[in-house]
Amino acid sequence: MTAPFSYVRVTDDADAALDTATPGSQLLAGGTTLLDLMRLGVMSPTRLLDINRLASSSAAPWGRVEETEKGLSIGALVRNSDLAYHPVVRSRFPVLSQALLSGASPQLRNMATTAGNLMQRTRCAYFRDVGVAACNKRNPGSGCAAWDGFARQHAILGGSRDCIAVHPSDMCVAMVALDAVVHVRGHYGAAGEGITEREIPIADFHLLPGSTPARETTIGPGELITRVTLPATPFAARSAYVKARDRASYAFALASAGVALHVDGGKIRAARVALGGVATKPWRSREAEQVLEGHPPTDDLFERAAATALATAQPRPSNRFKVPLAKATVVRALTRAREVA
Amino acid sequence: MVVATSRNIEPEIRGAALPAQVGERAPSLIGLLPGTRAGHDDGLEPSDSPTVVALFGGGEASFAGDREREAIRAELRALGAVLLALSPDLLWVFRPDDEWQRLEPAPCPPDGGPPALFGQFGIAPEGAGGPGLLGLFVVDAGGTVRFAHRVGPVERITLRTAVEAARRAMSLPLCGRTGASRREFLLASLLTGFALAVAEACTPPPPVRDAGSLPQDQLDLTLEINGQRHGLRVEPRVSLLDALREDLGLTGTKKGCDHGQCGACTVLIDGRRVLSCLTLAAMADGAKITTIEGLGSDEALHPMQAAFIAEDALQCGYCTPGQIMSAVGLVAEGHAKDDDDIRELMSGNICRCGAYPNIVTAIRRAQKDMHGAGPASPGAKGPA
Amino acid sequence: MSRGYTSQGVDRIDARSKVTGKAVYSAEVAVANVAHAVIVGSTVARARIKQIDARAAQRAPGVLAVLTHENAPRLPGAGKPDKGDRIDRVLQLLQDDRVLYDDQPVAVVVADTLDRARFAARLVAVSYDQLEPPVVTFDQGSSSYAPERAIRESTDSSHGDAARARASAPAAIDGTYTIPAENHNPMEMHATIAVWHASDALTLYDSTQGIFTARKKIAHVFGLNPRNVRVLSLYVGGGFGCKGATWSHVALAALAARSVGRAVKLSLMRQQMFSLVGHRPRIIQRVQLSAGKDGKLASVEHDVVSHTSRFDEFVEPCALTARHLYTCQNVRTSHRLVRLDIPTPTFMRAPGESSGSFALESAMDELSYAVGMDPLALRLVNYAERDQHADKPYSSKSLRACYEQGAAAFGWSRRPRAVRAMKDGDGWLGWGMATATYPAGQSAASAWASLRADGTALVRAGSQDIGTGTYTIMTQIAADALGLPLASVRFELGDTSFPETPVSGGSRTAASVGSAVKQAGWQVRQALLALAVADAASPLHGLSTEDVDVADGMLASKAQPSRRDSVVAVMARAKRAELVARADAKEAESRKPYSLHSFGAQFAEVRVDEALGSVRVRRLVGAFAAGTILNAKTARSQFMGGMVWGIGMALHEHTVRDARTGRVVTRDLADYHVPVNADTPDIQVIMVPESDPHVNEVGAKGIGEIGITGMAGAIANAVYHATGKRIRDLPITPDKLLEVPA
Repeated sequence: MTAPFSYVRVTDDADAALDTATPGSQLLAGGTTLLDLMRLGVMSPTRLLDINRLASSSAAPWGRVEETEKGLSIGALVRNSDLAYHPVVRSRFPVLSQALLSGASPQLRNMATTAGNLMQRTRCAYFRDVGVAACNKRNPGSGCAAWDGFARQHAILGGSRDCIAVHPSDMCVAMVALDAVVHVRGHYGAAGEGITEREIPIADFHLLPGSTPARETTIGPGELITRVTLPATPFAARSAYVKARDRASYAFALASAGVALHVDGGKIRAARVALGGVATKPWRSREAEQVLEGHPPTDDLFERAAATALATAQPRPSNRFKVPLAKATVVRALTRAREVA
Repeated sequence: MVVATSRNIEPEIRGAALPAQVGERAPSLIGLLPGTRAGHDDGLEPSDSPTVVALFGGGEASFAGDREREAIRAELRALGAVLLALSPDLLWVFRPDDEWQRLEPAPCPPDGGPPALFGQFGIAPEGAGGPGLLGLFVVDAGGTVRFAHRVGPVERITLRTAVEAARRAMSLPLCGRTGASRREFLLASLLTGFALAVAEACTPPPPVRDAGSLPQDQLDLTLEINGQRHGLRVEPRVSLLDALREDLGLTGTKKGCDHGQCGACTVLIDGRRVLSCLTLAAMADGAKITTIEGLGSDEALHPMQAAFIAEDALQCGYCTPGQIMSAVGLVAEGHAKDDDDIRELMSGNICRCGAYPNIVTAIRRAQKDMHGAGPASPGAKGPA
Repeated sequence: MSRGYTSQGVDRIDARSKVTGKAVYSAEVAVANVAHAVIVGSTVARARIKQIDARAAQRAPGVLAVLTHENAPRLPGAGKPDKGDRIDRVLQLLQDDRVLYDDQPVAVVVADTLDRARFAARLVAVSYDQLEPPVVTFDQGSSSYAPERAIRESTDSSHGDAARARASAPAAIDGTYTIPAENHNPMEMHATIAVWHASDALTLYDSTQGIFTARKKIAHVFGLNPRNVRVLSLYVGGGFGCKGATWSHVALAALAARSVGRAVKLSLMRQQMFSLVGHRPRIIQRVQLSAGKDGKLASVEHDVVSHTSRFDEFVEPCALTARHLYTCQNVRTSHRLVRLDIPTPTFMRAPGESSGSFALESAMDELSYAVGMDPLALRLVNYAERDQHADKPYSSKSLRACYEQGAAAFGWSRRPRAVRAMKDGDGWLGWGMATATYPAGQSAASAWASLRADGTALVRAGSQDIGTGTYTIMTQIAADALGLPLASVRFELGDTSFPETPVSGGSRTAASVGSAVKQAGWQVRQALLALAVADAASPLHGLSTEDVDVADGMLASKAQPSRRDSVVAVMARAKRAELVARADAKEAESRKPYSLHSFGAQFAEVRVDEALGSVRVRRLVGAFAAGTILNAKTARSQFMGGMVWGIGMALHEHTVRDARTGRVVTRDLADYHVPVNADTPDIQVIMVPESDPHVNEVGAKGIGEIGITGMAGAIANAVYHATGKRIRDLPITPDKLLEVPA
């Protein structure tokens, strides 16, 4: 059901990609979210800017993963599979590698990009079905069909009466745990001052639905993600991602957890706890981290941290099971992280 | 109203004495089209179908090779027609969904041999310099001539081109005046190189285009598929999958869901396995695309194809091209060390027939052939 | 007969065309200038169309026509189905303004490209008057009715007095088991290309399990002579029952082609596969078993309630197996239907047998714990030597050997009796088993065979290969019957101009078409033998035809093998271009005194991660006895494929309709889960040899569906063994394990 559009290929001039300020324009990278939703009639841009060729640009590291003293820089157009198998990611940020490899399928991972993964949209079946009128995200003010409907896959954290759609990304959960920073390019100065970059901590990148579920990220037309940086976090090597789902592979999370532990002298010095599959945005639980920090990493402690992470959960009748399930994934992930030598 | 003419058409318009004009009763074909065919019961008989009558100067009908024959099949299917090809000595009947049947020598129709039939269609068989196409006619199921073209002395035209022109002429918009089953046809100009100018006896008013719809620019793309370059003009929204299947006749790549959820459409782009349903044809412009048709050759199957056959890693076969392309991509990626890895890394290809265990065995077997030494893993364990 | 290609594991004959991408499925048939049609579906159920505005769609680029109930021609046969035909369905063909179910066809858009048709479909604006709120779900208390038949059998049955026996039995269980609606989802969506030859003659390239069914239905709908409708289906990308009936889209494709005067291709979109081509209904089954302390069944009661549409009827005959599978004098069964505002369900792989066996085998497992017996031992104690319901002996039954060989391969004797006895890291292992069974049917079928002077043969039957291996086994049967090398025989199917055969459903193609092919080949062989022995120049001259064997293209005296002649030489000397025969095979008379079924035993090992609620199947063993196995390779694939379906039924599959609107929520392959490769362990298939001289003349019982029977029960029983949690509501997904108190 794809609506007609005109197609522009961006080759060298990245700033041509900023031309998304023209109404109806949309950036096209991997296409795995965009083309899917366009074919459903959920999104109908009239102009696509294909930025894939930027990946081979030598002017900027769109398609490269680079180590810096500050940490890791991941180009916006790095494919998910390349990122997952990158030796530095595997050894120093295993939670990210595990998260990526648990998502989608090998083919999709070969296509999807870092920036695309950040920008992916919910899998809510009502959102994806234009035959359903009530979707505040797709059609502001029309209501939320999931609220009293089949909400088994929906959020228990971060939802509102207007929207309980889950953010489906695994990568983002790991990145939220790793304090990733999203670098965005745009016209930020006063008019005529040219193009600069700004940095957005990932925790601020995705928005809660509140009463405006159509607004999902903090960026908009005229802005372009250039890369994502991960600060060097030595204890990130002691991390794990656990994903609970309905079948063994090629399925979205019912609940997932990405964690990292810094254990020294028998005590947890620092912890990262992030949840997926259960929230309207990639969910960092500092409350759980506070429970963990300063204590020996026992099973009991993990249970308490998990319970804290889910303390504010508000399930719907059809997704109550997500509360114990999410707790279990947190505990399991912490247990795995503890086992990493 | 535009009327296209060419030298060879005008004499027909003026030559009212020529038989088998459009709208007239065609010469009888009874007896020429075999009735019950080998092994057939009842079913659509030749008399229920339009017939394309092609008259040749002599020798074999002038089409060669599978491609021409396949193209003629596609045209005949569109017409719902049977092809009857005659030369002075021989008669062929070609039904698009049957084997090419050759009956030799030609049976004699009630009023004389094939030469008589030529005359009835207004063709002089001895007039041609060689075994070329002399005339093409389409006779509908009721026996009326719907299309007629007699090839001029300097025209050289293949059967395929002529059949295509006939089909195009038959597809023109209906004229409403005389009812849905009667058409008035233009006279098509048939020139080698296939430039067709069309006239209509009546022209319906041009449809009103919605002023709000945006122009959909056609893109001119060059897709390199299996080592061959294909020029393609399509709307930007056309997926690589649809371009392969609908525009390029490469139907080996399958559509199972059109939304990236089943893997049946897997192809290799620059050696990587990806989903063609979520790739615009435009995105693949300039890249090296490999589809199932490009794997192996008629003489030698690719080791993965051979392994799938040997291990019966398929049943209905619909997911199979995608499985094979994905498996080839998997081996190139080099991350599958044991059976559990193969299972996990092939989970993007759904097989509803449930051939998975055999698919895993086939991949393990082909991996060895492809690399020379693959991981040896009896792999009796199931998933954890 | 000679040594035989049948029973060998011959490579699938169509494998090469499938692995090279050369196999052409219905939507891929090259038809020049084909136009594309897309169905527009309703977004409500139980409503009337108030208004359709097709103007924007009609004006969209490339659009050739928009058909709605306002302009669609009246079709003579669009009304009630042929009640005598179990497969025939009531269709929705734009004949009126009633909307019976969500996603019902309300318009068809035809355009010159697929994208243009799909986009224009979006532009058709439909408004509705909602009648009453749709009712799309039911429970045990819902108002139901008794259908006339449960497919071919009686709706209810009663032997003895089950309720009384139960009242006094030492051990009893009473379980209610639910299976949700499921969708077949073959990998190939339904597709039809329709080409009119004349105003009353039509060719359809159609993805179907029944080319003759399709021909008959379309001829009926359009008021055509069936002789003037030709249906071709050379390759079908899976069916599993949803391509058995001829659904609305086929007729709509033909309607569209007639309207635009051009060939039209209509492929369903995956979303439409959930509402337009049937489904397995939701089923609630109550099974009550009682037994003595020795495990011998005192009573069996199996009550089934499932749903059907408001305008058509389909019964999932779940309780038929319980009538005969286990020895018991007091057996009572019933089937009831609830009418809902949903599309009509249809046969889905082992309809009744797979769903019914989940309930029965779970109940037997529950009973085994109640009486303190090993589950396999309980089956053996109640083994039925005879079909007590039909009051007939079985034509053959090797179920004991299946139990024995399956158990041995699985290691069942090492199973700890207690639940929660096999810890495995974060999880628990569990072992479960179940009995599998499926009826061995046979229908009339015809075939034609021709032996050519060059020693090759062409054999034709209008059958289907939906991945089942029909191309291959028929070639084998023909080669054996004709006495030719396999490579010299070509078998063709999929064309209604070939002799008629039944729909490929109910696991009966091998029996039915195989018998016809064998007979046709045999008749040709006899004619050849007659020529040889009458030929003075043949070394076989003067022998009796019974004394001559034919194999691999050579005729030879059985008594003196050195007296030989070749097929080619016999034909040449007789100056025969071909020898031809046609066979019309009926259901074998030898079947009549017997009850005919295949049987099997299923064993499953699962690993349950209780905290995460995940169930993963680690090992499966299925031991089956299904008469003569015609091809070991393709047979193994069939059994295995059915077992994988059992994994899906047990753990994954669930079509959800929104209770408020009746619209399917799980409308794609991301939300409707079928097993993926990682869900599927190594599967061991044991084919227990069995020879059945009564079942039909090829000795085969049909194996397309038995693999799924019992499997969901075996897996659910394994989950119980692992966790002590009895899940009676499929699929067994994490939410169900997490909500049961341990």
